[in-house]
Amino acid sequence: MNSYRWDELSEGLSHEFEVQLTQPMLTDFLRLSGDQNPLHTDSEFARHAGFRDVVAYGMLTSALYSALVGVYLPGRYCLLHGINVDFVNPSFVGDHLRVTGSITYLNQAYRRADVKASIHNGDSQLISRAKIRVGVHEH
Amino acid sequence: MPNMLSQLEPIFRDILDNSRLNLTRESNASNVAGWDSLAHINLISAIEQQFGIGFTLGELQELKNVGEMIDLMERKLAIR
Repeated sequence: MNSYRWDELSEGLSHEFEVQLTQPMLTDFLRLSGDQNPLHTDSEFARHAGFRDVVAYGMLTSALYSALVGVYLPGRYCLLHGINVDFVNPSFVGDHLRVTGSITYLNQAYRRADVKASIHNGDSQLISRAKIRVGVHEH
Repeated sequence: MPNMLSQLEPIFRDILDNSRLNLTRESNASNVAGWDSLAHINLISAIEQQFGIGFTLGELQELKNVGEMIDLMERKLAIR
């Protein structure tokens, strides 16, 4: 886990990590969210809807943005203020997802950073993009 | 150049999600719905980025309303 302090952050500072989507992740997300929509649980339903298999929850892959700021950028002293996400393409079990983020703006008065982030699959296809707003607290 | 109030109004409308908001020099967090502490940070961040200026915490803490914000912005823009 990174432990950036406010004064160590700069515009352009970036981090990335990779995760493979697994069926247990979808099952766990179903249990915690209660989202039983068949697009995420029924392969046949998903195929009839035009997808090759069940679609991973957008909010599941977006949870990786929580890890991006909570673990890497800035890491330990992060306080998530808000996030805007666009779901551009579906992702599926087995996909290797690459999560990247870069600081685009630092508000010195309130110690708040804007992070431009995205998730791509193994084919470099954009899955989602996000603008994340994070505070950096003193400990 | 359009007056500063008319340039700020769309920023406030967007951040506060109120397309009918009429911003005045007397507007402040007490008389504008939705202007909470987090919205305030979002407003200041948007203004800094749009106008290319920066504020210190001390400057912001002294402001009583939008009018004083505009006066501060115009001083900063004049010496830029």
